[in-house]
Amino acid sequence: MSSSPYTARTAEEGTAAAPDTGGRRLPRTLHPVAWWIWALALATAVSRTNNPLLLFLVLAVLGYVITVRRTEAPWARGFKYYLYLALTVVAIRVVFRAVFATGMTPDDHYLFSLPHIPTPDWYAGIQLGGPVSLEALLSAATDGLRLACMLCCIGAANTLANPKRALRVLPGALYELGVAVTVSISVAPQLVQSVQRVARARRLRAGRNKGLKALRGIVVPVLEDALERSLRLAAAMDSRGYGRAGSATRRSRRLTGALMLLGMCGLCAGAYGLLDASAPKLLGLPALAAGSVLCLAGLRLGGRRVTRTTYRPDPWRFAEWAVASCGVLSAVLLFVNVGYDPAELNPSIYPLSWPTLPLVPAAAILLAGAAGFLAPPPAPPAPPAPPTPHITAPRTEESA
Amino acid sequence: MNPRLLRTVGRALAVLGLAGAAVLAPTGPASAAPQPIGRCTTSSGVVLAVDFSHWGGPVYRSCGTTPTTGYELLNQGGWRTTGTGHDGPAFICRIGYSGYQGGKQYPTSQQEDCVLTPPASAYWSYWHADPGENTWEYSQLGAMSYRPRPGSVDLWIFGGTNIEGTKGRPTVTPDQLRAHNSRPVGGDPAPKPEPKPDPVRTSQRPADGDQAPPPSEKPSEKPSEKPSKSASPSASATPSPSPSASVTTGAAVATPEKGAKVVDAAPAADAEHDSGSIVPVAATAGLVVVIGGAAVFAAKRRRREQ
Repeated sequence: MSSSPYTARTAEEGTAAAPDTGGRRLPRTLHPVAWWIWALALATAVSRTNNPLLLFLVLAVLGYVITVRRTEAPWARGFKYYLYLALTVVAIRVVFRAVFATGMTPDDHYLFSLPHIPTPDWYAGIQLGGPVSLEALLSAATDGLRLACMLCCIGAANTLANPKRALRVLPGALYELGVAVTVSISVAPQLVQSVQRVARARRLRAGRNKGLKALRGIVVPVLEDALERSLRLAAAMDSRGYGRAGSATRRSRRLTGALMLLGMCGLCAGAYGLLDASAPKLLGLPALAAGSVLCLAGLRLGGRRVTRTTYRPDPWRFAEWAVASCGVLSAVLLFVNVGYDPAELNPSIYPLSWPTLPLVPAAAILLAGAAGFLAPPPAPPAPPAPPTPHITAPRTEESA
Repeated sequence: MNPRLLRTVGRALAVLGLAGAAVLAPTGPASAAPQPIGRCTTSSGVVLAVDFSHWGGPVYRSCGTTPTTGYELLNQGGWRTTGTGHDGPAFICRIGYSGYQGGKQYPTSQQEDCVLTPPASAYWSYWHADPGENTWEYSQLGAMSYRPRPGSVDLWIFGGTNIEGTKGRPTVTPDQLRAHNSRPVGGDPAPKPEPKPDPVRTSQRPADGDQAPPPSEKPSEKPSEKPSKSASPSASATPSPSPSASVTTGAAVATPEKGAKVVDAAPAADAEHDSGSIVPVAATAGLVVVIGGAAVFAAKRRRREQ
């Protein structure tokens, strides 16, 4: 289904802005916000279901889209770490369910037993150890799998979207925050690079690569390197005018701060009111709306003092619409309860039975996978030879 | 990993398993069994009552032998519960009785998905009344930990409660539900609904007669006295009743209006369980393999082209 960057394709999208491509689809990076919308929508869809079949389908779709559409940038190779994290989540969930026993009924399938630790009367609500049933472990595993799938969705967004370009869409008031985030995001790859460099240098000098002594020999230069780098970065940012308050007066800064603080309080109260069914009705949507209005006002006011221009803005064309909407559509399909029984989304494990595969949610998840060929192919990595003429898309390593 | 460490871990697991088997053996269902309602007396057996009035149903009442747990009472003689995905079977999320709507469990999956712990505004709350007591006590223990005393009454009602105990108190009184006969009635203890074969026919509306439903030892009281009966005596005596007493009084007054019908639930066969088919699992596995194959193919082609 996937197309190589060079296959002919009757793409009607973006013909107005793109140069003459002869009907071919230009490799380019998709707008990062489109990937984030797609991934967050898929995560929302996942939060609705506990059906292991649907969850495995989501994992397969994520794997496919990432394989087909990721770039060769450093952050695009990180998906396997999200997979490790997901596995850890499932394992922790299962172990906790086994240790904090939730009781065993005569109908359950007995697996093994942990030593039971008696708890005092006032603590009788929590049992430690005891018999563990197959049902308990399976339900813990599916529960963990759901969280793992949501983690992988976020991981997919981080893998597919360029984090530095994503920060460009931040409103001006949050720009300083965004810069801090960018710097912290790029710390880990830089550290890895430093460590590798220092270790190679030690090897060339026939130094030891293991043991406590070698550790000191590596850590100190790496830390020095990091300090030097950050000083250089700070100097570079200072010379470019970062961190200046601009023309903002003291009063407007205070007003911005107050608006943002009140708005955040409103958002918190609104979220609480929406999630807690027994909270007064006034706390739900009205507080949420008031909070977002206050926040928006604060952002507008704060953004007025800094004027920024964008160099080579990311276009938002048909492919961006398509990717974002197929993610949103799959989330909507999992929430409307049309054409399937909502009980199928959360199959019962007590008593044990095979889960069913509801057709509409499965189709919705496969629809989200269509992003794999709706998105344009990623730009190939820059070859060492002189670049081929058709690489016109911006390089992915470019900073914000 | 170190093979010796592996072996040690394996041995430890084996020992744990054996210990578990030894622990598990005596904890089987010792003698808990469903009984016809006539076998429950003032001093033996436990009356279990479940209030389906939230869905327009009656209050079902059945009897079980003691030693038992609240959970076992709710999972015998046609009763069946469902836990939540988060807390396991010990949290009672759904209750069904095979004699009511064909064993359909309430709340239904449209109303509550039973994945996380239900909110305090809509859940099955658990109430006890010890022998001789006529006030409900909110259970301090879960269904699997609580062991009801012989002659007591267990009640499950659906709704919301609050911490002050002013909301969501039962509308029926323990005396309306408990056994009032001092010796078993109705022949053999086999799980056969002999004395009252048709549960619906034996139903008695509290509104019809003001007496408690079964042949009562207590003399019938005047209707005006009834509300104060359900509240604690001291509270009704004082001119300004405490909040809980006033609520209880209001609830007791509301009972005849709402007409919560008390129906005896005879021990019945369990509802059928269908373990489903493996076809959807196989289909999904096939789908995942196809998508994975496509991904591998795309990755290979990409590597070749670069």
